[in-house]
Amino acid sequence: AMEATAGWRAGVVAGLLGRLGLVAYGLHQDGAMRVRYTDVDYRVFTDAARLVTEGRSPYGRATYRYTPLLAWLLTPNVYLAEVFGKLLFAAGDLTAAVVAYRALRLRGVAAGRAGGCCAAAWLLNPLPAAVSSRGNAEALVALLVLATLYWVEAGSVGKAALCYGLAVHLKIYPLTYALPIALRLRGGRDAGPGKKTFGGHLWQLFVKMLNRDVLLFGAVAGSVLAALTAAFYHLYGWEFLEHAYLYHLTRRDIRHNFSPYFYMLYLTAESKWSFALGLAAFLPQLLLLLVISIAFHRDLAFCCFLHTAVFVSFNKVCTSQYFIWYLCLLPLIMPSIKMSWRRGVLLLFLWFIGQGLWLAPAYFLEFEGYNTFLLVWLAGLLFLFINSLIIVQIISHYQKEAPVAKKLKEQ
Amino acid sequence: QAVLVPNAADVEAPEYSATELLVLLYMEPDPRCSRCFRASLPMHGRYHRPAEDSEEASVVLKSPEVLLCCCDNLLSTECWTPAEVEAPCSGKPNSPCQWYSTMHKSVPEELILQVPVGLRQHSSVVCVLTLLATGLCSSLILAAVCKHGHFS
Repeated sequence: AMEATAGWRAGVVAGLLGRLGLVAYGLHQDGAMRVRYTDVDYRVFTDAARLVTEGRSPYGRATYRYTPLLAWLLTPNVYLAEVFGKLLFAAGDLTAAVVAYRALRLRGVAAGRAGGCCAAAWLLNPLPAAVSSRGNAEALVALLVLATLYWVEAGSVGKAALCYGLAVHLKIYPLTYALPIALRLRGGRDAGPGKKTFGGHLWQLFVKMLNRDVLLFGAVAGSVLAALTAAFYHLYGWEFLEHAYLYHLTRRDIRHNFSPYFYMLYLTAESKWSFALGLAAFLPQLLLLLVISIAFHRDLAFCCFLHTAVFVSFNKVCTSQYFIWYLCLLPLIMPSIKMSWRRGVLLLFLWFIGQGLWLAPAYFLEFEGYNTFLLVWLAGLLFLFINSLIIVQIISHYQKEAPVAKKLKEQ
Repeated sequence: QAVLVPNAADVEAPEYSATELLVLLYMEPDPRCSRCFRASLPMHGRYHRPAEDSEEASVVLKSPEVLLCCCDNLLSTECWTPAEVEAPCSGKPNSPCQWYSTMHKSVPEELILQVPVGLRQHSSVVCVLTLLATGLCSSLILAAVCKHGHFS
């Protein structure tokens, strides 16, 4: 146990040093080379924070489509140093790893294994480190989502609801977790013996859903969200609603991205089928999310991971930032996936190959001006297929750990 | 140094629904030749409408307008025709400045930007294959969930 804790501490330190190194390198590249390391979004955050320090609305900065909380949080960018925000996101990153570790220990996973999973999948993973050091705020949402799952497992419904309300305020996608969390909070009680029809089973699931915990969760999360929305609406008016919420719900971006639907939506952007096709693209997502919630709500982390992986893969817009949304839950589910090392590495390799095969024609399209639309489209379809394969493999190799299953039976 | 009017550009909008922008570039004197000025502007093409037969849309880049700022009250012979542009002179950001059009001959060659566009003929094939692929992948995942999920 001593070795395990020492190893875990070493992992955290390594993650910290790696992120600090990347931030420092980013400062160098920004100053020295033409292609900036820092993401454009960070510039937008800093400008909005500057507006807030002058007492004006952060929405005065064009393309600022986030919550005012973020601009407020980053005001030290203006007062202290512009690098403050990146350090804050890196700290959020590391805290997310610590919360994931605690959540794994709560489930009964041995210290060494828990530390190893968190280190491999998050601390030493270059993707979250790069995203945070480039100045994207995804780490904060990841931290809030992990905290929500942790508090639900620990039984503190109020704290979980608080984190959940904040997470949804920051980014809309955690809204999809409402159904699994509600199903999980409703508890494992099932009515008496006897075969149930599928319809009877569904009736029982959804009608019996409203117990005290679920109502408490809904009330607290709803009030947090309502309070934040009302306060910011009072401060900034319609601009806040339009940029922070409505934009994300109605956005139609037809530029090339990883989504399999991109070329279809680009070609039909002005045709009469555009709305129907958008709806057709939404249906597989909806159906899969519903079925996954019903099938896996007992293991909340696994359910949320599948939710987000399906949501991102089948979404009409998909960029590499979105991968953080489900990568942050990977440490939590790794102990439950009984897969050989070789298979895991092969799937990871396939995932990167899928991205590479997309990035190559996309580079030629965007920077060299070749018409590679068909190749980009086919690469998008291939990437969807690879993602689906990985999700199917993860589901097939999922086995609940014995101690947790026993705990559920006791409820 | 550059000024964008209006100062917010919707970078996601396709070409047919984008609003016009005015870009003012302050030119630097070219050290290699006297009475020469230079400026350079990186360009990023927007998405154009999908086309019927050609794989690329041609955008003709017209010559920019060259304006003179006759500040410092230098009454040069070139400060005749005032231009209807409101922009500050560099170095005095808040005071309005009168800009004048110059009589200059632009270089005769036309600059044409080729922007790749999607082909309309592909629409039906792309729609059908995309929906088939997403249908297939979602069925695969659905099958796996139904097989391994805990529905009890």
